[in-house]
Amino acid sequence: MTMEFLNLKMPMVRGGSHAKAGTDPHSPDRRIEQIVFAVALIVLVAALPSLNIGYRFLSIAITTGYTAIALYGLGLQFGQAGIMSVGHAAMLGIGAYTAAMLSNHLGIGFWAALPASIVLAAIAGGLVGLPSLRVSGQHYIIITFCFCALLVICLTNGGSFTGAATGLDVGSIPRVLGINFDKLFNYYYLVLGALAITLATTYAIMNSSYGRTLRAIRENEQLARAIGINVDMHKIGVFMASGAFAGLAGILQVYYLRHISPTLYGAFPSLYLALMVMLGGGRLLYGPLIGAIIVNFLPEVMDLNPVDSRIAYGVALLIVILLLPGGVSSGLLAIYRWVGGLLVRRGSKAGS
Amino acid sequence: MAALEINGLRKAFGGVIALGGVDLSIPDDRITGVVGPNGSGKTTLFNVITGVYPPTGGSITWHGEDISGRAPHQIARKGLVRTFQQAMSFPGLPVKENVQIALERGGRQLRGGEPRWHSPEELLDFVGLGGRGNDDAGSMPFGNLRRLGVAVALAANPVLLLLDEPAAGLSDGEASMLADLIIKLPGMGIGVCLIDHHMTFMTALCQRLIVLDFGTKIADGTTQSVLTDPKVMEVYLGGEL
Repeated sequence: MTMEFLNLKMPMVRGGSHAKAGTDPHSPDRRIEQIVFAVALIVLVAALPSLNIGYRFLSIAITTGYTAIALYGLGLQFGQAGIMSVGHAAMLGIGAYTAAMLSNHLGIGFWAALPASIVLAAIAGGLVGLPSLRVSGQHYIIITFCFCALLVICLTNGGSFTGAATGLDVGSIPRVLGINFDKLFNYYYLVLGALAITLATTYAIMNSSYGRTLRAIRENEQLARAIGINVDMHKIGVFMASGAFAGLAGILQVYYLRHISPTLYGAFPSLYLALMVMLGGGRLLYGPLIGAIIVNFLPEVMDLNPVDSRIAYGVALLIVILLLPGGVSSGLLAIYRWVGGLLVRRGSKAGS
Repeated sequence: MAALEINGLRKAFGGVIALGGVDLSIPDDRITGVVGPNGSGKTTLFNVITGVYPPTGGSITWHGEDISGRAPHQIARKGLVRTFQQAMSFPGLPVKENVQIALERGGRQLRGGEPRWHSPEELLDFVGLGGRGNDDAGSMPFGNLRRLGVAVALAANPVLLLLDEPAAGLSDGEASMLADLIIKLPGMGIGVCLIDHHMTFMTALCQRLIVLDFGTKIADGTTQSVLTDPKVMEVYLGGEL
């Protein structure tokens, strides 16, 4: 079972040069290297707080973590099923506001609100997905944008129910087994756990017949219908899954920030989510995570102010669209396979 | 009664009548050919049968059940699977995954029966694409793409396979290889209904031909009798003035 889970098989990248014999992801040598990679990644990420990295870094890591969770939903929708959304922050908003409103009006805390946030965001995702059955491509993208703007208007004008423009506050997460989630380290591990569940779920979906069905819809809807795939149902299904991930990210966000307001879920945050998915690449398992890391850490590493960082993102996005349509993740994979191929050839030459 | 019974089928696009009341019965145990000049309604016939367009009038009965107006995926799940005139595949995915998707979908229709093909490789071998499983479908040459289209349709577990111009754009050699493949299907329990212009291809494969012209059936019978029918000669060669 663990073997299966750690076998980080990637779906094909368009025009990928790896579609040749010897690169079968199921071959044993590849499986071992994938396991080594996944274990190394887990150890590194889990050990981060003990490296004395400072609160600033840790808080960016937490932001990256919950953003990545939302991105995995968008990644399924965009990378696997091929339907982009530029209103995905609205789904996060539904999750976050569900938790905040349950806490403010009914006194319901984090753990009880968690399933409610996920379910409501999933339902909202399905509803926003409905127009995609009629319109596609850029027309649908505009609809997602409108939904996001509409949600911000509703939240801003919701009076004390939604906290209006000032937003809402929430308390802290009740202790579980004596763990105090007010401590940044512990919150980091909470987000990390949620991210691990998200990754495992995404991996399972991508490698299941359901994942293949989604890719079939992405590649050729007409043919998918002709072989008996219920395209409409699967589209709504992927929107709901996408919404569920965003709901989880939303509740993690609100209990981390302790205060939310409508501007967090408007046009700009939505565009950032779309940017991160395209930058990282939605088709490969690590794509959304790479996108979240780049966008969240870039200004910190390069010491950019908010205006400069927006320019940097724009340039980065253009470069990726022009040179790496599969995102940074597919570029890294191609480089990795190329280097691997070189080493193998070297090795066989030396051996002969 | 044949497996697929079509009565008075009509399809109009605005004022254009693509099918003007067609009666057909297509069995699911042999190869039936549909021919006719361009614009005679052959592809529209397939599109209406497989639910791409709802019919304007008439009925389509499949094994005694009225299927007119059903969604394409529902009709496909009943064993009526079609291919497309434009060679279609899931271009960004490996050939093996193309077939696997359809096998998984088709496998759900078996209801305890034994699948015809147990793996994508087995089916790819059958259509002559063995060893091509890891290629990207989108980068394949046209002839192979045609075969892949047939493989994907076969994987969806058809009872009657509707092939829309499978030999279009193929060389004579490729067309005869495809014919060798199609002729095996009735023996495996798969009926075939075939549209094509390539007459040597059609006469080699079909015992029965149906001729459409301007959305109506003008001939229906054994291949030999249809080819000598004066009405068919008129449509194809032009009548006397």
